[in-house]
Amino acid sequence: MRLPSGVVTVLAVVLNSGVGLAASPPTPQATATPPRLPPGVSATLWRLAVPKGSEPTPERVALGEKLFREKRLSVDNTVACMTCHEPELGFTDGKPLSEGVKQQKVTRNSPTVLNALFNATQFWDGRAGTLEDQAKLPILNPREMGMPDPDTVVKKVRGIPEYVTDFQKVFGREPNFDDLAVAIAAFERMQFSGDARFDKFIMGDAKALTASEKNGWALFNGKARCNSCHAGNAVSPLFSDQKFHNVGVAAHKQDFVTLARKGVQVVRTGDEKQIDELALNSEFSELGRFLVTKQENDVGSFKTPTLRNVGITGPYMHDGSLTTLWDVMDHYNKGGVANPFLDGGMQRLGLTEPEIDDLVAFLFTLTDTKFDKLNKEQLAKQRARKNTRPERDNAIALGKKGNLGDLAPNPDLSVKNPADLGIYGDVTPVTTTQQR
Amino acid sequence: MNLRMKLLVVPCAALSFAGGVALATSPEPKPEPLPKHVLPASKDGNLVLGLCDGETSMEVPGVKDGQKLSRAQAITATAQLMDDWRKKNPDANWDDVPGPVLAQATPPATKKSPSPAPQPNPGSKPSGNEVRPGGVGAETGAKAVPQQQKVNLQTGHTYGAYSERDEQVWADSVQAAVKEGHRVFHDAEALGGTVGVSCDMCHPDGANTHPETYPKYQVQLGRVALLRDMINWCIENPVRGKPLADGDPKMRAMEAYIYAQRKGVKLEYGKH
Repeated sequence: MRLPSGVVTVLAVVLNSGVGLAASPPTPQATATPPRLPPGVSATLWRLAVPKGSEPTPERVALGEKLFREKRLSVDNTVACMTCHEPELGFTDGKPLSEGVKQQKVTRNSPTVLNALFNATQFWDGRAGTLEDQAKLPILNPREMGMPDPDTVVKKVRGIPEYVTDFQKVFGREPNFDDLAVAIAAFERMQFSGDARFDKFIMGDAKALTASEKNGWALFNGKARCNSCHAGNAVSPLFSDQKFHNVGVAAHKQDFVTLARKGVQVVRTGDEKQIDELALNSEFSELGRFLVTKQENDVGSFKTPTLRNVGITGPYMHDGSLTTLWDVMDHYNKGGVANPFLDGGMQRLGLTEPEIDDLVAFLFTLTDTKFDKLNKEQLAKQRARKNTRPERDNAIALGKKGNLGDLAPNPDLSVKNPADLGIYGDVTPVTTTQQR
Repeated sequence: MNLRMKLLVVPCAALSFAGGVALATSPEPKPEPLPKHVLPASKDGNLVLGLCDGETSMEVPGVKDGQKLSRAQAITATAQLMDDWRKKNPDANWDDVPGPVLAQATPPATKKSPSPAPQPNPGSKPSGNEVRPGGVGAETGAKAVPQQQKVNLQTGHTYGAYSERDEQVWADSVQAAVKEGHRVFHDAEALGGTVGVSCDMCHPDGANTHPETYPKYQVQLGRVALLRDMINWCIENPVRGKPLADGDPKMRAMEAYIYAQRKGVKLEYGKH
């Protein structure tokens, strides 16, 4: 690039500031400055997602990590946050449904902590607004860490001398429940993750992806319609719209319509506390976002999860009911499972088997390179199950049965990969601490 | 001023109407090859630059054909070309500086001494609307985000339900495209130019690109043109590069930039 130095400087400043154009207030505000972010992590999103005053400090992060790994936060000293969010496993547990104290199964699949800091809301149903709010709830959930109430937690932590010292050092006071959540949240705010093979590709290394993976990226943005909800671009590289959709997952296990009808009644007559218990413990958990908003069209809808690291964070969906990404493709290929609250965007996709393979291959390129080994293992494991396909219904997917709408156009790779056409946008700049 | 030049600067709604009819009635709309601006060869083998009008050209003394101009040389040469154009077309409206207010500035008052063409400003930032006070930017409402996250961000499904955070992400995504367009617009290399000329040299800050007037009958092209057609004409002629595909990311980015520079200007397709 041959540019006069003036332009280069301006561009450098613009690039460095990440948001660049939008963020040049005349007076330098004391806005939060992101730490050094790898490619594939957006500085804009960091600024949007990290509340002022909640920037992670090294001291808080260190204490937070200790607490994250602390089994004594559970009622019988058996379960820590990391029990279900194992850092080595991409902050998940690899199980369909997570297990809390006394081997109790919870109602939801453990979502990864990686990039959770960027979520607009926490939990599959978005019932917590911040990581701090989120961190408290599993400790008190009878099926997860099983502590009866915050006071008991605080009493227990205050009884552990090292924590008394630690909290004094970090917060300047005795342990309390809020500070505990702040520390854990600080640790979680450092778990941003990008640096995937996909990011190399998007930054111009055409060889970073194979032909099959590139075709998967084109299908992702075209025929497979993934980007309707899992849109990603340089500013918002999560591959999630952070909204809630009923894609029919809850509908294949039970008589969903009856359950929904019952649920609507309970929620109309119930009080707040009762509803929270429903979300945590009962079959009504399957009503998802509805329990939070009490809006009927949220029945059975769950948050669109990020696709970053999706290869290593299976099994999939809010209830872990789909074992492999091939199963997930099958689910969407047939337009989900019909129910009265199904999202209007769900329709058959008509994907062929090679196209499904390409899509899965692409999804595995979204894993942070630091999990390369695990990613390869998971891909091999999932591929071994390729012939076990409980969700597959080619008759519906390919339009021989039912009428689930027209197909999106097939990308014509011989012309040009349509996914190259500026959909993703400019590469996320790597920010430094000295900007502006 | 010859007929073609008049057509360039005088409204020619009738012509574009005729063009439209011609298009509509031809059974097989097989586009003819676009007219080419054939540059006269220099006796001394010097580099010849063409102006976007499709007929004005000049030799650059001291630079041989096939050589690339330095940016400074290119700026001097293009300024001279633009001066030539303004002398030929003293009545032409010149949208001096982008922006709705200044776009309506009166044309140069005297016919005899048109003001020199504005000089490119190499260090200029994309002037978009990124620092519009009170506008939407990455930081807009950021303070409210923590509070907002406590309320129910969204009910319902995909459409019509979005949060302020969404809007901020969208605004930034658009600005990223505009920024990339600004880069390409100012970068002869990125444009694929072979002589060192970039868009900003004749259109500083996107001035005088009047994107709001497309589609319109473009005389140089002899057909109804979209903005991207004219961008490609400029890439082929003054810039001396290869035309970009309609969907090329650079083309998309430049359209984003050029339109962003004219925010607020009334749409007037077909206007000359």
